[in-house]
Amino acid sequence: MLDLLPILAQQIINGLVLGSIYVLATLGLTLIFGVLGQINFAHADFMTLGAFAAYFVARASGGNYLIAIVAALLVGALLGLVVNQAVFSLLRGQDETRPLVATIGVSVLLENAALAFLGPVPYTFDSPYSSQVIRAAGMYFTMQSVLVMFIAVLAVGSLYAFLKLTFVGKALRALSQDQEAAGLMGINKKALIALTFVVGSAFAGLAGAMLGPILVLTPFAGATVIVKCFAIVIIGGFGNVEGTIVAGLMIGLIESFTTQMLSPGMSDIVVFGILLLTLAVRPTGLIAERREENV
Amino acid sequence: MGTLRRGFSIASMFLVGVAVLELSLAPANAQAPAPSIKIGALLATSGPGAYQGAQQKEGAELAIEQLNKAGVNGRKFQLFHEDSACGPLPATQAAKRLIESAKPDVIIGESCSDGTLAVMPLVQQAEIPLINASASSLKITEPGNAWTFRIFPHAVMQSDSFARNAYDKLGARTAVLLYENTNAGIDTIDTFEKAFIAKGGKVLVKIGFGRDVNDFTSIATRIAGLGLVDIIPTASLEGQGVKLAQALAQAGITKAGGGKAVQLSNIWLPAGFDEKAGKPAVGFIRIVQFNHLENRAPVQEFLKLYKAKYGADKTPSHLQAQGYDQVMLIADAIRRGGTDAKSIRDHLLATKNFEGATGHVVFDGKRQNSSPDTIHYVETTADLGWKTLDWQ
Repeated sequence: MLDLLPILAQQIINGLVLGSIYVLATLGLTLIFGVLGQINFAHADFMTLGAFAAYFVARASGGNYLIAIVAALLVGALLGLVVNQAVFSLLRGQDETRPLVATIGVSVLLENAALAFLGPVPYTFDSPYSSQVIRAAGMYFTMQSVLVMFIAVLAVGSLYAFLKLTFVGKALRALSQDQEAAGLMGINKKALIALTFVVGSAFAGLAGAMLGPILVLTPFAGATVIVKCFAIVIIGGFGNVEGTIVAGLMIGLIESFTTQMLSPGMSDIVVFGILLLTLAVRPTGLIAERREENV
Repeated sequence: MGTLRRGFSIASMFLVGVAVLELSLAPANAQAPAPSIKIGALLATSGPGAYQGAQQKEGAELAIEQLNKAGVNGRKFQLFHEDSACGPLPATQAAKRLIESAKPDVIIGESCSDGTLAVMPLVQQAEIPLINASASSLKITEPGNAWTFRIFPHAVMQSDSFARNAYDKLGARTAVLLYENTNAGIDTIDTFEKAFIAKGGKVLVKIGFGRDVNDFTSIATRIAGLGLVDIIPTASLEGQGVKLAQALAQAGITKAGGGKAVQLSNIWLPAGFDEKAGKPAVGFIRIVQFNHLENRAPVQEFLKLYKAKYGADKTPSHLQAQGYDQVMLIADAIRRGGTDAKSIRDHLLATKNFEGATGHVVFDGKRQNSSPDTIHYVETTADLGWKTLDWQ
């Protein structure tokens, strides 16, 4: 057995990188749930299609991963806009279950459309930064890991700045607190709901681009991550952005240390055990006390 | 006038002759052509094992196209596919749909062990022979199911030989075993462990993981913490196999990453794995059931037909070859007198020296192909091609 300290330090790095990926993947889900109270099962497929968009743009641009990330973000935003206008906006205002079931329908439709056009064989999406390995003090990390963490910080910072510092962001927060009252104050409810979906889906696309080189990229790739994303949303506090960050990083660290100390097969048992414990002991999640304070 | 009458008479006789001839031939023409042999295909075309089913289906369709040019004993062949998704539940549902709707004479598949084990009772109940080509779990043939055949070398056939060669040819003494938590993954690694320990090797740790694991950095870190490891036998599907090879190289464990360990795999990874994994695959040693570099006539014939149908730039893997061989094996049984499910089963059991693209097929009493020539060892070279190893 080698020196334990570098191994544990390495697992902390691994956990933080994995946690950053989870935060990125969950951010859009949290925003949509926080503002609209809507669970979006199609979020996984927006991530998958973002990953594929990044893959094809990277290939077309001679391996330019940074352009691919921007393209994935735009594809996610466009998907959000189209799906919201074509499906969800028509069902909103009716009972709560219809939009929920519609997200499942959109998810199945997108998965099978992707299967028909892209095929079932896994794609290999290599970021040029994945092979750049930095080794120091018995530890190592790839430039891709650094980029993932940087993009996660940038995404969280941008969302905060948008929500706290801009007029539209404040209007979104007002909408999340009371849609009727916000409407009476002259806030364009429909436009802001659409904007929430566009921003949330853009984050899904962005997450797809960052996940692409990590995931086994098939039309079902997002489905392997989304269940954990839902767990993070619940553990973090049902749509609370700060809670999502804490829960995402925590789950990443728990997975790394479960792999080190026990077995990767035990990770889900530990993560979902914590989910059940949270629901039992602190049903509001780690941070939020009231849903209207979430966003 | 007389000439005219004689002309009419000859014409009348000719017409009567034609009519008689028509009548005499009529029963033969009216006979319906022999019905096609219906081949059910339980192949995964969705989920993590979808690459297997999609490629096997390509091979099966190629074989059917070739066979239907002339037919076999007056019979043509039809393929009925259901997506069995490499899992017990979807495979069971797919098998029920297939058996009820298509009523096949014979079934090929499933792509994975868990799916195959789940459908075996259903095909047995329906009394339809099942020919499996890519599932390695011992449980498939060891109980001696009367309706299940396998042309794929099972876990012990692969692992015994692999452990022996790793110990003798690579000088490996320590191993870390990585496997997906499925029947096939567990069987593959357990049998390797037994054979390796029996030779005198030591297993440092066994690490199992689910098919939903995407990030293997933490597993690689754990292995790096164990110190020097000689070999890392791995049982995973292609997508996770690529990620594992990359994570182990990044952690500096395998030769491709500057370490000393050699990663090994049984017949799980298709051709093309090396290109997908890239440089981290260099030095990877694995068993393949189909080596396109082999000079055997059935290999080269299959290669020629495949490229003609799917593109000259494409190289088939063992999966396409398996699909092709499964259908050709059925055709062989029909040629020897098989007409329906039961007689096809009986003729399959009597198969003698069928030579396919993946090797010979000789079934033992448990309907397991016992031919050893289905196992080939290859090592990934620096240019991501294959070097055939002279291992037995």
